[in-house]
Amino acid sequence: MALLEVRDLVQHFPIAGTKKLVQAVNGVSFDVEAGETVALVGESGSGKTTIGRCVLGLIRQTAGTILFKGEPMGGRRTVRSAALRGRMQLVFQEPAESLDPRFVVGQTIGEPLVALGASRADREKAVRLAARRVGLAERFLASYPAELSMGLQQRVGIARAIVSTPELIVLDEPTSALDPTARAEIIDLLIRLQKELGTAYLFISHDLSTVRYVSRRVAVLYLGSLVEEGPATELFARPRHPYSVGLLSAVLLPNPHLRRETTIRLEGEIPSPIDLPPGCPLAGRCPLVDARSRENMPPVEEVAPGHRVRCFRHAEIAAMEPATDYFEAFQRETERILAPPEAERAGVGA
Amino acid sequence: MTTPAIEIEGLEVEFPRYGTAPVKALRGIDLAIAEQEILGLVGESGAGKTTLARAIMQLVPPPGRIARGRVRFRGEDLAGLDPERLRRLRGQVMAMVIANPKSELNPLLTVGQQIGNVLRYHTGLTGKPLRDRVMEMLKEVRIPDPERRYDAWPHELSGGMAQRVVMSIALICDPRFVISDDATSGLDVTVQAQVLELLQRLVARHRTAMLFITRDIGITAHFCDRVAVIYGGEIVELAPREPFFANPHHPYTVLLLAAFSHNPRLRGYWHRQGTSAGETGPAETGCPFAPRCVRARDRCRAEAPRLRELEPGHFVRCHFPVER
Repeated sequence: MALLEVRDLVQHFPIAGTKKLVQAVNGVSFDVEAGETVALVGESGSGKTTIGRCVLGLIRQTAGTILFKGEPMGGRRTVRSAALRGRMQLVFQEPAESLDPRFVVGQTIGEPLVALGASRADREKAVRLAARRVGLAERFLASYPAELSMGLQQRVGIARAIVSTPELIVLDEPTSALDPTARAEIIDLLIRLQKELGTAYLFISHDLSTVRYVSRRVAVLYLGSLVEEGPATELFARPRHPYSVGLLSAVLLPNPHLRRETTIRLEGEIPSPIDLPPGCPLAGRCPLVDARSRENMPPVEEVAPGHRVRCFRHAEIAAMEPATDYFEAFQRETERILAPPEAERAGVGA
Repeated sequence: MTTPAIEIEGLEVEFPRYGTAPVKALRGIDLAIAEQEILGLVGESGAGKTTLARAIMQLVPPPGRIARGRVRFRGEDLAGLDPERLRRLRGQVMAMVIANPKSELNPLLTVGQQIGNVLRYHTGLTGKPLRDRVMEMLKEVRIPDPERRYDAWPHELSGGMAQRVVMSIALICDPRFVISDDATSGLDVTVQAQVLELLQRLVARHRTAMLFITRDIGITAHFCDRVAVIYGGEIVELAPREPFFANPHHPYTVLLLAAFSHNPRLRGYWHRQGTSAGETGPAETGCPFAPRCVRARDRCRAEAPRLRELEPGHFVRCHFPVER
C-alpha cells in the first residue's frame, strides 16, 4: 500500500449566481510511496495547488478518493483520527506571507505541536531540534520573520513542517520566490532532510530544472488532467505528450547550446477551466490535434514501465522527438565549465 | 561597431539618506548597445537593474538623482535636453516594456485607447488611420481575436495577452531603442517562450536595439547577443553570449551559473556559506562582491577593480578573475 493514494480525484467549484463550474481537477490518480518525492508540474491554472489542498484535507473534493496510510482524507472529517494528526504538513510558496509577523520564529515553528497537545518543555526541545535540522542558528528563534532573509524565512517554514515529524510534506512551489543561490540551498536542505527523516514529498512546481533534480517520479498536469506521468529520468529524456514536449522545450537553461529542439510548438495560453469542452484538454493549443482528440478524451496508456501518457498520437511523438535529456546534458556541461581551476583545487585541498 | 544606438558613460545614480552618505545605486556604468543588438542585463534584486533602466530614460525618481556620467542616444546627450523634447523621445524613439503588465495598464481605458493614446501623442494620428494602425500592431503581437480585444478592458486579459498589449504600447511608434524590464518574469514558460520569440522577431524586423533586463540568466543564453552582469551597481562582466557562457570569468557570474548545478560540492566551492543574496549586501569600498567571494583577498577589500578586457570583447571587473 502506498503512503498516499489518490484515485479519480475531481474538484469542481461552482461560480456563485451562475450554473457554471470551475473544473479545477478532472479525474486525477497517482500514488506517493513512503520516503519518495513525486513532482506535480504544470502551469498556473493546471490544478496543482488544488490537488495539494485536497490531499491535505483543506477542501472537500467533489469526487474520488484520497487514502493516506489507508485512511480516507479530503475534508470528510474536520478532526482526523488522532494517529494521523501532524503526519502531513505543508510548506508554502511565499515564506514571508506564510509566517505570522507577530510571532517570533520559535513560536511559529512550535505551533503545530500546540495543536497536538505537546507540553511546553517537549515543544521547546522539538523546536530546537527542528531548527538545528534546517540549519537555523538558535539565536534566530527569538527573531521576527521580517528580520530574516527570504532563504532563512523558508528554512523557518520547513522547520515548522518537520517539527511534528510528518510522513508526507506537500511542498507548494517552495523555491519559486527565491533567488538562484538561496533556491539551491533550500533544495539541498530538502534532499538532506528526506534522507535523514524518510519523509515523502509531494513537490508542486513549475520549475522543471529543480523538479529534475529532486524527484523520482514526475506527473505533468494540464487543465486539471494528468497528461503524462513517469520516472523523472524517463520522462525528461523521452516525453510522449505534446504538452510535456512543449514544456520541456520552453525551459531556457543557461547554456546557449542546450535546448530541446522540437517541431511541436504550443500556441496560445492555458484556457479558463470553466465548463470545459469534451476531448483532450490540450486540443485548443496542440499542433497534433485531430478530429479524434477534439471529441474524445484520450485513454491513459503505459508506454514503458511506470511511464503513462494520455495522448492518441504518443507513438508518433516518440518517433519524432530526440531521446535526449537536455537537463542531464546541461549538468555535465556545467560541471565541465565551472570546474575549479587545477591550481586552486590543489590549494583548497578538498 | 558603428555609432551605437545608446551609449552610457560613467553613469552614477545616488539616493540621499537622512543623516548619512547617499546610497550609490549605480557606481559608474559604461555600456554601449549597437543598432539591432539585444543586450541582456542580469542581476539579483537590488543590483541596480531597474535604476539603470530609469536613468537611461532620465526618469530616476526624486530624491534620487544622476550624480555623474551621461547617456547618449544616437550621439545626443539626454541630460541636456529640455523636458518637452525628452518627452517626445520617450515613447517615440526609446520605449520601455515593463513587468507586471496587469498593474501597469490603466484599468479605466480599453486596450485600443491605451495603445492609441501613445500613437496620437507622438504622431497626431486620429480617427480611422489611428485605429487601423493600432489594429495592425495588435495583429503584429499576435493577440488572438484583435477586433474584440481592441475594445477589451485590462481586467479581461490573461497575463500573456496583457504582456502583448504592453509590448504594443512600447512598439507602436517604431522606437529605435527598447528597454525590457523583467517583462517575462510573471509568465508561464510556454507563454514566455512565445513572448520572447515575438520580441526577437519585432526587434529584427524594426532593427531596434534592446536592453533586456532579467533575473533569469537562462533567458539571456538563448535570447541575447551579448550578456552583462550587474552587481552592487557595477557591471562586473560583459561579453558576447558564446564566450560568456563557455568561459565565465567573474566569480559572481560563476556563482550564478553554479546555482543551477545539481552537484552540491561544485556549488559549495563557489559559494561562501551564509552569504546568499539578501543576507550579505555589496561592500561600499573595494570590490562590491568581495564579502561573498570565495576568492577575495586583502586587495579586493581595499581597492575597487576596474573593468578590464581579458579577451577581445570580454570585459571583467575583478582582480583575480577565474581563468581556465
